[in-house]
Amino acid sequence: MSQVLKLEIDSQLSNTRLVAMAVRGVCAMTTLSPVEINRLELCLVEIVNNAIEHAYDNEAGHPVEVCVSMNKTTMNISVSDWGQSIPDDVMQNKTEMVVDPEQPEVWLCSGRGLHIVNKLMDQVTYESNQDKNSFIMKKELRH
Amino acid sequence: MAFENHEEGHFTVVRIDESRLDASVAEVFKTYVFDLIEEGRSNIVVDLAEVRFMDSTGLSVLVAGLKKLSGNGSFSLACAQPAVRDLFDLTSMDKLFKLHGSVAEAVKGS
Repeated sequence: MSQVLKLEIDSQLSNTRLVAMAVRGVCAMTTLSPVEINRLELCLVEIVNNAIEHAYDNEAGHPVEVCVSMNKTTMNISVSDWGQSIPDDVMQNKTEMVVDPEQPEVWLCSGRGLHIVNKLMDQVTYESNQDKNSFIMKKELRH
Repeated sequence: MAFENHEEGHFTVVRIDESRLDASVAEVFKTYVFDLIEEGRSNIVVDLAEVRFMDSTGLSVLVAGLKKLSGNGSFSLACAQPAVRDLFDLTSMDKLFKLHGSVAEAVKGS
C-alpha cells in the first residue's frame, strides 16, 4: 500500500524551501542515505524552481503542487504547474554538459538543473494533461 | 545582512551567513559580489562554511563571479560542505573552482 503526501505552494522562489524541508522530513522515514536525501532535495528544488521561473515566468499567485507517494520499494515525486509546458527539445536533451576551463563563454549555459535531475533520478517523465504539466521523478528505495 | 566581507591580506573574504544559497537569494548575492568586483576587489574568497544547500542557480552566481574576474584576479571558494561539494562534483564545476578546506588555506593561495 502506498502513502501519499500532497503539498501546494504559491509560485514564489522563497517558498521552494518549504516543500524542500517537508520532503526531507518524509525522506528521513525511508532507507535513503544522507547523501541520497541531499540529492533528492536538490532535484526537487530544481524542478519546483523551474516551474516558478519558466512555467509562470516568475509571477507570483499561481499554484505549484508537489505530490510525494511511496511504497516499500519506490518513491515518486511529482511537481505540477498550470503554466507554460517545458518544450520537447529541452526535455529530450540528454547531452552531458562539458565544462571546459578554457571556454568561459559556455560556463553559464542554462538547463543545468534538468541535467542534474536526469543524472540523479532513476526515472524521469513529463506529461501535460489539459492545462496541468507534471514532472515526475522516481527513486528506488533499498529494502 | 546575509553577506559580509572583510580583508585578509590581498584577499576579500565574503562570508555567506545563510544555510541555503538558492534561487531565492542568488540575485541578491550576485549583486553583492559584482558590487565588490566593481569597487576594485580582485581577489575574492567565498567562505561557504554556513551553506548546507546550494542549487544550480546559486552555483551559477559563483560561476558568474568567476567569469567576471576571469583573467583579472582570483575567485576561489573555501569550506564547502558535503552537499555543496557533491553539487560541484555532479556538475564538473570542480574543474573551474579551487575548493579550499579553509579560508586560511585560500588566502595563502595554496
